[in-house]
Amino acid sequence: MKSRAPIAWLIVGLLCLVCRTQAAAAEERGYSASALYNSANAYARAGKPGLAVLNYERARLLAPDDSDVDANLRFVRASSHVPAEPRRWFDPLVTIARPAVVAWLGAAGVVMMGAGLLAGFLAPRRRRTRRAAIVVGAALVAFTVGNGMVLWPKLHEAVILTAATPARASPAPMGDPLFVLPEAETVRITAEHDDFVLVRTRTGRTGWVSRANLAAVVPPR
Amino acid sequence: MSTTFIKRVGLLASITAFFMMAPAMAITPTVDATLEPSQIALGESAQLTITTSGKGTDFPKLPQVAGLELHIVGQSQRIQIINGAALASTSMIVSVTPQTAGIFAIPGVAPNSQPLVLRVTPPGSPVLPGKSPGSGTPGASSGANGIRMAADGAAFVRLILPKRDIYVGESVPVDIEVGLRDGFARPNALPTLVGSDFTLNNLSHQPEQTPRAVDGKPYMVLMWHSVVAAVKPGKFSLTVEAPLTVRIRTRPQRDSMIEDMLGDPFMQNIFGASITKDITATSMPSELTVLELPAEGRPPYFSGAVGSFKIGGDISSNTAAAGDPLTLRMHVTGTGNFDRVDSAMLEHLDQWKTYPPKSSFKATDALGLKGEKIFEQPLIASKPGPHTLPGLAFSYFDPSTHRYETAHSAPLNVTISPSLADSSLNANAPPLPAGTPSPGGGSATASSNPGLQPDHVAIETGTSTLVPPYLQPRFLAIPSLLALTFAGGWLGLRRRASDRSTARSAARDINRILDDMETAARAGDAASFFTLARTALETGPRSELEAGRLEADRGGDSDDIRRFLALADEVNYAGLQPTREEFARWTDLLRGAFQRTLQRDAHSNGKSS
Repeated sequence: MKSRAPIAWLIVGLLCLVCRTQAAAAEERGYSASALYNSANAYARAGKPGLAVLNYERARLLAPDDSDVDANLRFVRASSHVPAEPRRWFDPLVTIARPAVVAWLGAAGVVMMGAGLLAGFLAPRRRRTRRAAIVVGAALVAFTVGNGMVLWPKLHEAVILTAATPARASPAPMGDPLFVLPEAETVRITAEHDDFVLVRTRTGRTGWVSRANLAAVVPPR
Repeated sequence: MSTTFIKRVGLLASITAFFMMAPAMAITPTVDATLEPSQIALGESAQLTITTSGKGTDFPKLPQVAGLELHIVGQSQRIQIINGAALASTSMIVSVTPQTAGIFAIPGVAPNSQPLVLRVTPPGSPVLPGKSPGSGTPGASSGANGIRMAADGAAFVRLILPKRDIYVGESVPVDIEVGLRDGFARPNALPTLVGSDFTLNNLSHQPEQTPRAVDGKPYMVLMWHSVVAAVKPGKFSLTVEAPLTVRIRTRPQRDSMIEDMLGDPFMQNIFGASITKDITATSMPSELTVLELPAEGRPPYFSGAVGSFKIGGDISSNTAAAGDPLTLRMHVTGTGNFDRVDSAMLEHLDQWKTYPPKSSFKATDALGLKGEKIFEQPLIASKPGPHTLPGLAFSYFDPSTHRYETAHSAPLNVTISPSLADSSLNANAPPLPAGTPSPGGGSATASSNPGLQPDHVAIETGTSTLVPPYLQPRFLAIPSLLALTFAGGWLGLRRRASDRSTARSAARDINRILDDMETAARAGDAASFFTLARTALETGPRSELEAGRLEADRGGDSDDIRRFLALADEVNYAGLQPTREEFARWTDLLRGAFQRTLQRDAHSNGKSS
């Protein structure tokens, strides 16, 4: 009995942490997928494809399963002559559920795996059930990890907000322009220096772009 | 005017003269007591009148009765001339107010007189025989005109119902009248409906006021127009209560005739003929039958509206661009319980996004019984082209036809043009090539551009960051702690299982050695026996040899182990040959010692885990 007290305290602590996390999430109302989507629609109607794509991308981070977001994003990109994002085989891993749901699925996977391992000592006879729990738990954890790996690059992307944005060879206003980026183009941020960020396009070209000409999909806190 | 004044002065002079002459003309002294009424409800008061007549008669002392409160409210004198002899009498008016319901006996106030009995019923109990109907308040009476007078006609309350049969939920207009004699009564609060089976709309603090003569007396009648609705079926008796402050006579009716003749409340006050009292006047009960709405033929979307209604529909614009919001309106007009008029309007419509409607009501009468309720529903067309919005429907129960009715509006035609955004976006770009997958999933062409998908209703809870939760440190703490917990549990359980395995292995080894020892004993090989025994003691679980020493140090009963070790030395070095019985004894001793040790180890492992 004495040896079970730390486990009980740990469970209580975990529950408190979960409640605290949920309460904090409920208190902080900043971004909403629908609100971002509606803003993007408004920008699209106003003829501002850069801001529209930025808000669609942000909405897609919160609601990757929303087909309207995906449809409008592709439509605006196509209308702005920006190449559409290529479809990859693992994209369904991201679009199947929202990140918040995936996060809790991962936590549930950890619980299932742990319970399956412990049950081997406590109830050695139910071998099949234990193995099934471990396999399902591992699959959930793997799904969460995969989801994170797919979304990770998105967290470091930015959208060009102004038309004919020059990408320069050096992080300086007078740096030699290497190429021009169209409005609504999505690029990846690889480095930062003062008011410039080093971006990489989908075609693999890199150049320094002024911060004033783009906005990160995930704004820095 | 002067003639009336002279008459009044003359009357007063006559009364004064009688008072002056009364002592001289007094004859046989008597004391009499009466109680009126003999039955009252709790909260009301009865009047005890003690009359003394004759010379030299004093008023008796008021009796003390538990549960009754007696106090003198007035005194009067009268002179009667019987067969030429003047009889002066003095009356003392005592108010008797019960504190509880029950039957009270007031001891005789006169010598050798019977006690007076007062029956007090709980408030709201039925009227007992012998008590006049409508006497819920002192001096209450009901007239032939359906008006229940209260406080000797100082006030009345009346409920006027136009219908006697209504349906559950049906709103019925009612009139509530409160008549007040000027100077005799005044209202304390708004009238209320008795019982919880009906709802009454809020009454105005400024009712209509009209003077009216009732039974030849002038009243100021306050009138409220309101609406009453029943909440459950059945037969009900509907009454209205009005809290009033009234001036009540403290003398019997016959004694107050003069004051009434004077007709002036001020004069009555001077003569001490009345007191003020707070009462609750009630109206005559109005019988009402509430019918349940029939279950047969009830439309599926019936919301409880009872009355007579008509509907109409319109839309904010007959032309719009795809994605632009339009407002569809349904107008419900008529008479009935508009608070139950409800509609979901168009819930699902192909190629349209529909949103929950909002409603507003505009009454056209003071009661809110007639008016117009407007439902407004936002709609967004997702596809361009001509559209026809189906007609709206509204179901209600019509009490005049006693059946459910469904009103319909005409369908509406709307033309939706391609989205302005599409034009804006496409103005700088050539049309999408034919065959390109469209946002909507179809095939996009220059002529049939599907445009943007419509806006969403922002109903989600927001989040502070766009980073997925599983990449936020705050959330990561949860699976990390869970993983640590399970890892710790797994390690602990694994260690315990390992200890058990070791113990089982040791037990197997010892059993094998003991078997070998028995074989050596049977063969009489003392050297092998003791060598095996020493090996078992030195390598056994938790080293039985060490345990034996520890227990010996603590004064335990392991002397046998030491003796056995000494014997083993003797066998090795002195060639001692134990007997068969000694072999059997030492084998049993060692077997028992090992078993105890194994049990002790298993117990300690269980504790530690």
